[in-house]
Amino acid sequence: MAAPDLLVIGGGIVGQTAAIRAAEAGMRVRLVDAGVNAGSTANAGSLHVQLQSRFIRLFPELAPNVEASLPLYLAAVREWERLEAAHGPFELVRQGGLMLAEGAEQMRFLEGKAAREAARGLSVELLDRPALDRLAPWLGPQIVGAELCRDEGKLNPLVANRALRARAAALGVEMRADRIVALEAGAGVAARGASGAVHAARQAIVAAAWGAGALVAPLGLALPVRAEPLHMNITEPGAAQIGHLIQHAERSITLKQFASGQIVIGGGWPAESRGDWATPAVRAASLLGNVALAARLVPAIAGLRVIRTWAGMNTTADGRTVLGRLPAAPSVILAVPGDAGYTLGPLAGRIAGELAAGLPAAEDIAPLSPARFAAPVRLGASAVRLSA
Amino acid sequence: MAPDATFRFDGRPVAARPGQSLAAALTEAGIRAFRETAKGARRGIFCGMGVCQDCLVTVNGQPNRRACMTPAAPGLEVATQAAFARLDPGATLPERPPARSIAPDVLVIGGGAAGLAAAAAAARAGASVVVLDERKVGGGQYYKQAAADAPLDPQQAAGAALIAEARAAGAEMMGGVEVWGAFDGLLFLAEVAGGALVARPRTAIVATGAYERPRMVPGWTLPGVMTTGAAQTLWRSYRTLPGRRVAVAGSGPLNVQVALELARGGAEVALVAEATGHPLLRPAAAAAMALTGPRLTLQGLAMLAGLRRRGVPVRYGLTLDAVEAAEGGALRATFSDGRSVTVDAVLMNDGFEPQNEILRLLGAGMDWDPAVGHLRARRGEDMQTTVPGLYAAGDCAGLGGAPAAVAEGRIAGACAAAACGHGDAWDLFADRRALARHRRFQRALWRMHSAAPRPLDDAPDATILCRCEEITLGEVRAGLADGPGHVGTLKRATRVGMGRCQGRYCAAPAARMVAAATGRPMEDVSLFAPRVPIKPVSIAAILAAQEAVDGSA
Repeated sequence: MAAPDLLVIGGGIVGQTAAIRAAEAGMRVRLVDAGVNAGSTANAGSLHVQLQSRFIRLFPELAPNVEASLPLYLAAVREWERLEAAHGPFELVRQGGLMLAEGAEQMRFLEGKAAREAARGLSVELLDRPALDRLAPWLGPQIVGAELCRDEGKLNPLVANRALRARAAALGVEMRADRIVALEAGAGVAARGASGAVHAARQAIVAAAWGAGALVAPLGLALPVRAEPLHMNITEPGAAQIGHLIQHAERSITLKQFASGQIVIGGGWPAESRGDWATPAVRAASLLGNVALAARLVPAIAGLRVIRTWAGMNTTADGRTVLGRLPAAPSVILAVPGDAGYTLGPLAGRIAGELAAGLPAAEDIAPLSPARFAAPVRLGASAVRLSA
Repeated sequence: MAPDATFRFDGRPVAARPGQSLAAALTEAGIRAFRETAKGARRGIFCGMGVCQDCLVTVNGQPNRRACMTPAAPGLEVATQAAFARLDPGATLPERPPARSIAPDVLVIGGGAAGLAAAAAAARAGASVVVLDERKVGGGQYYKQAAADAPLDPQQAAGAALIAEARAAGAEMMGGVEVWGAFDGLLFLAEVAGGALVARPRTAIVATGAYERPRMVPGWTLPGVMTTGAAQTLWRSYRTLPGRRVAVAGSGPLNVQVALELARGGAEVALVAEATGHPLLRPAAAAAMALTGPRLTLQGLAMLAGLRRRGVPVRYGLTLDAVEAAEGGALRATFSDGRSVTVDAVLMNDGFEPQNEILRLLGAGMDWDPAVGHLRARRGEDMQTTVPGLYAAGDCAGLGGAPAAVAEGRIAGACAAAACGHGDAWDLFADRRALARHRRFQRALWRMHSAAPRPLDDAPDATILCRCEEITLGEVRAGLADGPGHVGTLKRATRVGMGRCQGRYCAAPAARMVAAATGRPMEDVSLFAPRVPIKPVSIAAILAAQEAVDGSA
């Protein structure tokens, strides 16, 4: 078989959508995914737009980066809607997100946050309890109000991932199961897999999330990506009553109801890493804390049973999407979305695909350039022999 | 007239005896459909032991309670479970009974043959022992104790004696305990009557037994189709017949035993279909069984003679092909030779699957046993798994039968106690000899029957594979065409195994299909990754556990 034009490393949401865009532009694309944790399709399907309190609290120094990216989140949700119209339905619902406050201080925090978000073009509104009761009559008595962000929503990631995979297959994207362990770039690219195979192409898109750092380090980039295993829970089905994506002004939680009636509870509680290439384990404290918090915020769900928990890998860098060609290796395009990677994924993937195909990008990506992580090329670091 | 536990179902009174499960009382009243599915189908009792999550009803406004695990009580308002339970906007968090924390030397999970023997041995050695059992009344699936009546036969009497022995030795028995969480460092979380139990034992003996492997045919999810063990529980525990007229299908000695028990109890057994050939046509296998277990072989022959005396036809080499709804709430079962019988209940047992979720969750090493088609826990002579302090005894570690389970339990109990400094566990020669003998018999027995799971190659596309999510074999076959290299990928693509029972019935056949499609061995394909909760757990119970764990931290 002829060598592909483009090698996409990573078969998660970014890699899938990048492969789709490049293939739509006529490129011959090979997508390589390691199968475990990579392309794990473990995301729970929240479409985040407003600043997540969890992120601001955990990484206060990075919050300005996320805030600067708010318009990108709006564009990302629009990209999801475009994809759903073309390849859906994905059970996408955009009824908005409610960030709950349990006291006056939290409400003041939301007021300040809402003002900053409105300035960036988000559709937000502060609700007192009576207004909130009209939208969400099932909240606990201690909730005093909320910020409503109308841009937010949710979708069923299992349905969306399957449809996008089918779209990529229909476009002739060649899917390979392999874990890329080394990447060399010159006039073209050559990537060596754990299987021993060498995948060569004219260009590569590195959509390997937390695995991207090691791949691009020998190519002159010090990318500070970390794998962050996170915990999630899902209940048995209930009647469809919760339309909004629920979050909290101070505490880690997301809660939403799927079209199946099942309620997904997550929001960034830690899972136990068993190494980057093994499925993370569930921590008792996360399960208990996460679900108990959900029950206190929405007591109506207390009668339902949790039927499953799981953990997936989140990727953190500097909070802002990293997207563009490597300064020292222009045949390699890096695509690592910022916080809330599943929301941003299709937009990041599409832009990466457009870059590879030489098309004008849908968004201004200069602020997202990997150049901000440029490091001196370490001679000898890429000495892995790929030909032979 | 015995005291009365009459409750109401969908507004109508249903007579019940104290101790009877809701499922038994409803069955006795001729009510077989307990819930509606998302796709509009009806479901009723299937496994009878809390595994399948299909007999759900609403009890006093609480949705999704298992009718097979909930005792009848006067005044209960029971209702057909709607597919989507309504969330009450005005709901407040329920009052929670105080949580209990325990830290015994030896925690035994499962109060059946292995667990009771383990508890007795460990307590006799001087260890503090707590036994947790899912059912209100201990004894497990083999000894199946009566809820209210005197022992029916020597099997029930032997179970009662074992329970008494464990108690007398000083073991504490807790019933109605659902263990839903198991975490590294030996932390177990359980639900007891809506409250929380937090256990941090020094050692744990998992003795969770096995559940039945069904025969997946079109119609196997219809109300009235149940496992042979479920029918046995109805009769032995609650003196309720699964139906007036029944058919029994599958392979193995339980089918013959239950057919005879039900016939003695007054049911008309229309047919017993055994999938394997007639024993007289396989004299070598029959002789091996008779030599390794003369007493049990004689018992088996006596049961067959009992069925013959009652005119119950036992047919060999005959398998169930389909079940359909017939007139008047009856079921028509069709068999591989074209014959069909019309009955009230179809009972099926095609072997057993170990309940090894806790072992797998804690990372205990497992090996695939192709002869029986399931995983066996890797254990030392002391029944300790590859996880220090975690022991496994009985069928949960790989099928071995009740007598072997008792021997394994005694060894595990003595060794776990010794590991905690109680006794020296050196005098286990008799138990080890007994265990070797029982294991020889089991091997011979399962050569007579057919312990390996039957392939689904010939089953029609419309056959449901995943009961919970109502996923058909055709949908799974289509999912295989996308080339999933792992059963987890197939699960995400088709939703097979994503429901309440957590893949307990469909995981193994789905994994076999992936293995066959990819040409890889079962070891590589594995089952769905085990996850907490081990069984569905109410959010209210998680809240109670969170308060207990935070309070003790």
